[in-house]
Amino acid sequence: MSIEEQVTTFILVVLPIYIASFTLYVVRALKGPTVPDMVLAIDAMTYDLAAFLVVLAIFFRSPILVPVAIVLALWVYALDIYVAKYLESREMGE
Amino acid sequence: MDPAWILVILGEVLVAIGVLCDLVAAIGMLRFPNFYVRLHAATVGTIGGAFVPLVGAALIAAGSEFLGVYRWFMAGAALVTAFLVLILAPAGSHALARAAHRSRAAVVKPKVVDHLEEDRRGGEG
Repeated sequence: MSIEEQVTTFILVVLPIYIASFTLYVVRALKGPTVPDMVLAIDAMTYDLAAFLVVLAIFFRSPILVPVAIVLALWVYALDIYVAKYLESREMGE
Repeated sequence: MDPAWILVILGEVLVAIGVLCDLVAAIGMLRFPNFYVRLHAATVGTIGGAFVPLVGAALIAAGSEFLGVYRWFMAGAALVTAFLVLILAPAGSHALARAAHRSRAAVVKPKVVDHLEEDRRGGEG
């Protein structure tokens, strides 16, 4: 078995587990019950989505997907900080 | 043994560990009772479920000849992403937990003791 086939088979096995865990995260993000709970679920899900995108980039052999993961990680950090700032002082910062 | 195989197998082991952590963290996120307990699941999900598979994906990309010359770009960008996740995820979770506790946005339902809350109330009154 060549490296290509082996990697493709492995990623095909891994994909459904990722999809299942994303579904569970989305359930928690929709259920809440409070705002920090939703933000925490979105936070953990998006960091995992960044890892998932890199795995998908190997699967589809397209390097253009990898920089998207960097932007995604930075974006969700900004979400964390904005929500934390809003919760503490009730304003977004000018 | 071909060094490419070693890289690929090592990377696949890391990705497999990461995907298991990811599933466990998602189940924990769904089952844990309140926000502060869910922070534990979030930690498992970000460091175990994102940092470890990113390093593993970088190793897989470095060992995969079929990706062409861009595999070095993919491996490097994956390592940069892993570093960013390692730095940013704990900082973000900490800021969120601090804000949630100070603004009392999250309800601590099965609570045994909350010394931080008592200290803050003692300081105010």
